[in-house]
Amino acid sequence: MNGMTKNSPIWIAAAVLFAILPFIFQSGFALNILSQMGVFIIFALAYNMLLGQGGMLSFGHAIYFGLAGYFTAHFITLMGEEALPYFPISLIPLFGGLAGLICGIVVGYVSTRRAGTTFAMISLGFGELVTASTLILIAFFNGEEGIQTDRWVGPEPFGINYGSDIQVYYLIAIWCLLCMIAMFFLTKTPFGRMSNAVRDNAERVQFIGYNTQRVRWLAFALSSFFAGAAGSLHVMNYEHVGFETVSVAQSGLVLFMAYIGGVGHFIGPVLGAILITILNSTLSDLTEAWFLYLGLIFVVIVLFSPGGLAGIVMMHEPIWKTSPRLLASLVVPYIYGIATTLVALCGLIGMIEMLYYRSTTFSADTSTSIYGVTVDTASVVPWLVFIVVTGVGVYLCRMSYPGMAHSWNAVINDIKQRMVS
Amino acid sequence: MTTALQLKDVAKSFGNTQIIRDVDLDIAHGELHAMIGPNGAGKSTLFNLISGKYHVSGGTISFYDSEITNKEPYEISRMGLGRSFQVTNIFPRMSVYENLRCGVLWSTGHRYSFWHLVNRQRDVNERTEEVLEMIGLTGRRDVPAGMLSYSDQRALEIGITIAGDPKMIMLDEPTAGMSHSETEQAVALIRKVSKGKTLVMVEHDMGVVFDLADKISVLVYGEIIASDAPQNIRNNAAVQEAYLGTEQH
Repeated sequence: MNGMTKNSPIWIAAAVLFAILPFIFQSGFALNILSQMGVFIIFALAYNMLLGQGGMLSFGHAIYFGLAGYFTAHFITLMGEEALPYFPISLIPLFGGLAGLICGIVVGYVSTRRAGTTFAMISLGFGELVTASTLILIAFFNGEEGIQTDRWVGPEPFGINYGSDIQVYYLIAIWCLLCMIAMFFLTKTPFGRMSNAVRDNAERVQFIGYNTQRVRWLAFALSSFFAGAAGSLHVMNYEHVGFETVSVAQSGLVLFMAYIGGVGHFIGPVLGAILITILNSTLSDLTEAWFLYLGLIFVVIVLFSPGGLAGIVMMHEPIWKTSPRLLASLVVPYIYGIATTLVALCGLIGMIEMLYYRSTTFSADTSTSIYGVTVDTASVVPWLVFIVVTGVGVYLCRMSYPGMAHSWNAVINDIKQRMVS
Repeated sequence: MTTALQLKDVAKSFGNTQIIRDVDLDIAHGELHAMIGPNGAGKSTLFNLISGKYHVSGGTISFYDSEITNKEPYEISRMGLGRSFQVTNIFPRMSVYENLRCGVLWSTGHRYSFWHLVNRQRDVNERTEEVLEMIGLTGRRDVPAGMLSYSDQRALEIGITIAGDPKMIMLDEPTAGMSHSETEQAVALIRKVSKGKTLVMVEHDMGVVFDLADKISVLVYGEIIASDAPQNIRNNAAVQEAYLGTEQH
């Protein structure tokens, strides 16, 4: 059975989902989030070609995303001014990909000569270099303001002019699907397999005929291609590109997406991109401490679930395959575990919010709204309440976690028994 | 008679320490050549020089009449020299089958292809199955290599080495750490995979060496003090003094 054809139902399901999502979430805000998700799914998967597939930790991968964005913005503007011949706007990710690819080939030639820490350091260096350039090379980057462009250029085949956000959404959705399939395909090619081999044991790869630098370079260049495609779609979505797109912060965000989603599974970065885009758009409106929470999520994943969200899900695959009933026996302990964790988090978040409010707000008004309730941060009562809630939550967790562990071990033992018998 | 491997005045120093001193060695095509010597004599270093892991400090190495001195390991590998490692050196997270397939890919000409699906390549699959069968791990095909038993990992190590169908195989202590029966199996495997090929191996087990080898070289303090047929090595006074003799004390 072939890896690609076996997965075609999944791709068809994804295509259907992409097609109907705008009908389910109809607001402009939701559509915007969906478009962002598509862009970041491509970017996070591209990033994982390096981190998860090739074992290269980059702190500067946003430069291919962002630079391709700048090139795309200039390209579209020049086309609009008819200074350049017309290139179909629907194929703009190919242009962005090419820009990313070229940047990736040049930078990758230098940075992939070494793996590990050296590679990570070089990537950080290039990231800072390009970020600094945005303020120096004003003609190209236009400093902190960035570049505006108008995506409504050229002919309008079948009325497709990208005047409305829904058309842009479908542009992103189609390219997102194509890029996902292409990147999945790549993992199944000789290049993809050798990329994994270099990640796992670069020394041995040299003695079976492969130049490890060449494998890393190729992975880097292809990854930059997809990052560039994502960058050009980002510009199509916002009609603007700013210095933050090439910044180290953006590189960090895509690292978070890939890692929190799970670098060990193809689907991981997809989950990460979806989750973090949602949190980024919703939580950032609710709380100023959003980055703190994102950091905490990252730390918790690194410490307790290095396989990310996909790792947690896939951990249950053998159980599901053995017997869905075994999986069902985990549901109740999980609910207890999650509920008690939520209680503890509720208290903790309350305290963080109050602390944040007190350290960042300089008005005389000491009351703020937490969970929709107005609390006075200068009063001792809310502090006591949140401390007690946290304490109770932690206490309850200490009751529920052993139960989860116990049920998990029971299920695993059950599976082992079945395998023996 | 074709010369498979020729070393001329090969020397290697690490800092001021000379590990290999002006080694000359000729290995004929089809020969089963064993390299013995006390610990620290430089056997593994010599392996690393030949296979390109280290650069020589002096001298030349040629492989089937092409000079390979200081070439990169992958270039030497592509010319048809396969080597194994003393410490098992596999891809632990990949399955047994995938490990072997990695070894097959270059030799079947797929190189860095990112436009072919690897499991659709009939030549790759056939060769991988063949090697899997040869090393006797067909039943463990989908097991992650890191979860194999030690002796199975050693067999896989040899499998990866021969997967690309090299002209010459270099095995670094293939039976190290094995029980008696495991060693017997390993010897049978080595005999099978080296059929029609040139074999060079470092080995400490004298039983294995005298059983397998057509010719034995004795390396002591970075110098080859004798290179001859097994019975002559056994009777060589210098060898007895320098190497075999020390074991009898």
